[in-house]
Amino acid sequence: MSWEDGLAATTRRRFGQRERHDFLVFLALAAPNILLIVAFTYRPVLNNIYFSTLDWTLGAATAVQVGFGNYVEFFTSSDFTQVATVTAVFTAATVGGSMVLGLLVALALHRRMPGSGFARAAVFSPYVLSGVGVGLVWLFIFDPVIGVLAGLLRMIGLPSPQWFNDPSLALAMVIIVYIWKNVGYAAVIYLAGLQAIPQDLREAIALDGAGPWRTFRSLVLPLLSPTTFFLLITSVLSSLQAFDIIRIMTPLGTGTTTLIYEAYLQAFGGYNRAGYSATVSTVLFALLVVLTLVQVLVLERRVHYR
Amino acid sequence: MTTTVVQPPAPPTAPVAHPLAPRNLVAAAVSAYIPLVLAVALVALPLLWMLLSSFKTPSELITTDVRLFPSSLAPDNYVAAAEKVPFLRLFLNSTIVTVVGAAIKVALAICTAYALVFVRFPAKNLIFAGILATLMVPPQVSLLPNYLLVSGLGGADTYWGIILPGLGTGFGTFLLRQHFMTLPMSILEAAEIDGAGHWRRLVNIVVPISAPSIATVALVSIVFEWNDYLWPLVIVSNPEMMTLPVGLTLLVNSESGADAYGLLMAGSVAVIVPVLIVFTALQRYIIAGLTQGAVKD
Amino acid sequence: MTTQYVDRRGFLRIAGAAGITAALAACGGPTTTAPGAGPAAPEQLDYTGVKPAPEITFWSNNPGGSQAVTQQIIDAFHASQKDIKVSLVSAGKDYEEIAQKFQTAQTGGALPDLVVLSDVWWFRYKMLGSIIPLDALISAVGIETADYRQQLLADYQYGDAQWALPWARSTPLFYYNKAHWAAAGLPDRAPATWAEFAEWAPKLQAANAGLQHPFQLPALAGYAGWTFQNVLWGHGGGWSKDFDVTCDSPESVSAIRFLQDAVYTGKWAGVASKDSADDLSAGAVSATVSSTGSLVGILKAAKFDVGAGFLPGGPAATSPVCPTGGAGVGIPKAISKERQLAAATFLKFLTSPENTVTFAGATGYMPVRTSADTAGLIAKSPLSKIAIDQLAVTRVQDRARVFFPGADQEMAKTCAKILTQQADVATELAALKTTLTGIFDREVKPRI
Repeated sequence: MSWEDGLAATTRRRFGQRERHDFLVFLALAAPNILLIVAFTYRPVLNNIYFSTLDWTLGAATAVQVGFGNYVEFFTSSDFTQVATVTAVFTAATVGGSMVLGLLVALALHRRMPGSGFARAAVFSPYVLSGVGVGLVWLFIFDPVIGVLAGLLRMIGLPSPQWFNDPSLALAMVIIVYIWKNVGYAAVIYLAGLQAIPQDLREAIALDGAGPWRTFRSLVLPLLSPTTFFLLITSVLSSLQAFDIIRIMTPLGTGTTTLIYEAYLQAFGGYNRAGYSATVSTVLFALLVVLTLVQVLVLERRVHYR
Repeated sequence: MTTTVVQPPAPPTAPVAHPLAPRNLVAAAVSAYIPLVLAVALVALPLLWMLLSSFKTPSELITTDVRLFPSSLAPDNYVAAAEKVPFLRLFLNSTIVTVVGAAIKVALAICTAYALVFVRFPAKNLIFAGILATLMVPPQVSLLPNYLLVSGLGGADTYWGIILPGLGTGFGTFLLRQHFMTLPMSILEAAEIDGAGHWRRLVNIVVPISAPSIATVALVSIVFEWNDYLWPLVIVSNPEMMTLPVGLTLLVNSESGADAYGLLMAGSVAVIVPVLIVFTALQRYIIAGLTQGAVKD
Repeated sequence: MTTQYVDRRGFLRIAGAAGITAALAACGGPTTTAPGAGPAAPEQLDYTGVKPAPEITFWSNNPGGSQAVTQQIIDAFHASQKDIKVSLVSAGKDYEEIAQKFQTAQTGGALPDLVVLSDVWWFRYKMLGSIIPLDALISAVGIETADYRQQLLADYQYGDAQWALPWARSTPLFYYNKAHWAAAGLPDRAPATWAEFAEWAPKLQAANAGLQHPFQLPALAGYAGWTFQNVLWGHGGGWSKDFDVTCDSPESVSAIRFLQDAVYTGKWAGVASKDSADDLSAGAVSATVSSTGSLVGILKAAKFDVGAGFLPGGPAATSPVCPTGGAGVGIPKAISKERQLAAATFLKFLTSPENTVTFAGATGYMPVRTSADTAGLIAKSPLSKIAIDQLAVTRVQDRARVFFPGADQEMAKTCAKILTQQADVATELAALKTTLTGIFDREVKPRI
């Protein structure tokens, strides 16, 4: 019997004669939140699916039903491959980058040196900062003429890369900033995972004569796999939803048009194609659902549980 | 699935040897301090650069001759920024939206989580899954439909229009539900025998003993509300009603040229520093809250 | 802000939960019509017997940092009469944000009574029926259109109607660093043709150590579609002729190839990342083309003497090769006639000869009235004379840029491929033509 079933059994015993009362209490307590969620999260998703079947110019009072026309256009357009590639590269690089760097930082933090509490807070802090503010600061740093990065490169005699004009570099730039903002999250979560590993296990394997690398490979990493799995899901979902930094640093989306930014650009970036934008949003939403399902169903089996 | 209770981070397990034992010092410096110092520097330097730049004049900013320190600490950019956008008003708006929004969110999360854990109702887990699924919906997807609804109700340029669509909370409900499930049943049973109804059990028992978790949900909500950009950008037109992140972008006008960076850096300081202060004071709870669910036992 | 772990059991229920709400009908949004239904004919507007509304709002993005001076003009308006109160609303940071707000508001939000319309936006509003033709209001409040600079007025004319009035109007201007010019021994003037500048460039490069490029092309986003019309026209090409896209004509191809050669072969031009005016002010480049609206900012940041001149022409045409640009002001359709009338009353005041000079002095935009007394303006900032004089040789922009929704972005993208990734000019311009024609067929043709 699972924990939840046990709880249900207890509640059943305790509240047996007061079902009707409990029914009302539940509604009183939970209904406001549920109604808000239905009104402002579920309804928009459905609304968007409806909009995605329209040829609708934002601002126009009327629209034309086009069925799957927008979907056909999106999947056959020359932009599609590009949007898909950019989305895949951005997601893989930000997720991989912040997880690997986060694990390294967590391992360093785990050594409980004096000052590591401060370091943990410092590394984590960008995660709570406004994406707009962070984007603006980095925009200034990366400027190839007047930016401080260009200045430092000039001191060692190098020209600044064209961060904003070269699409690949623009993508690299927003990836760097995104990792900067999010690496602390991965680090503290890995740290919590490391701290949950019992010391005696490590000591036992150390007595076994295993070096630090082997301990890490054969003990720490497998024991961290639930954490890794959790991070993978949350990071992929949030990378696919990354918006503020891209919007602030590369407003035209040069090289950085991910699915979510394409949805934004189509509606608000000068094209005003509200129906087409809803199509892109719907594709993104479907992707999020599928990815979560795949991760939960497939990957979970391979994850080590104690 | 169970998760750890929201607590300030667990005390560290003792390392094998004392970290400051001489033979460990060099190894420690190499393996821990160097990466840590590097990481902290990488985080701190851009923010420091922002702060220093916010005091520079246009000709100190628009130059290829990079200097670390501004020639004076006169707050010219802050004054100029305050002339362009009503900073105090923006600050007040952000504070109102954040406090009211986060307070209602927390209250909703407490009530929903309590109902999900302690009140009998059919298909509770299904309802919970439905609430949790909201975490997969990007805010951009709901932008236009929500605009149509809220502006149709007259919510454009109002506080309630900014706050309302974000109130339904999946994250807070999830966090508190996981916590409530770890509470000892015996206390609640004793209270019920004493004749305490749901409301009294919620207010007098569950809330007080869950204070740290609730604080965490509150802080996470505060940070989120404060930083929220896209929704306020769309629903608010009147600068008198704008929040800080939205007002901040108004500091850059088309073709405003040389003034822009100094003002922007001043504006960035205004939007970033309050969060940094709150974070520094309460980081234990924020970090504890955000790591929930990661570690399973 | 964060997403939490979902376990498998919990997750499998999500699909079910989504099913529950599937029963909820979609609401809000547009009404649908049969394909091919044309727009309704504009109704005749009549303002006899209408009393102006007591309060109106004016949505501006404060182009060129014009918030203070606009408020100053509004205060003067309040002092001159007591019937209408105007509130200035900074509704966005750029034309795109204003447009985003204005168009979203069409779906049911609070509309302004006056709105800033950039050159690439007003025609869209006209097509969507979001703004009214101003002719009836112009006669109702007695606006002397004959006194407006006709090229600027003509920018907002379509189908025998006037859809907006010019306000924050600019042209591109050739800016240069006089110190660099002197070091290279060049005459103190802008080059007459681009060929002449190509000859000067090596001298500038040789005489000024540390120079990144003699010339900086403006940032492509937002500027390529606008300022490159200068080069296109100089070569006898253009983005379009009326509604025919001509960006792939031999003349147009040779114009854009000239720019590509300047970057890759002659290596005398770079491409600005964000603001070429900043790059000039920083001393990193010797010359650039930027809006007249950047004048005040350049003078503030530059540590050297700044020169300015007309845009160079050639080889096929030398005048007129300068496009107009910037923004006008229009009046929404879906507001009451009282509010429209009040808005027009203020619009007349906002663009009066005195106020247009006040506005120009604070921002660098052009005075839009011919009777405006510009002597004080020129005395204060001699460079503004060049900008005003250049107005006489401006040309109305190509329709593909200003009438096709999203065309400006597409032009910027194409130029980015050509000028930052060295893509083949003819291929890219041919692809651009396909895209632009597609936009025309889909968005414009059914609505004109």
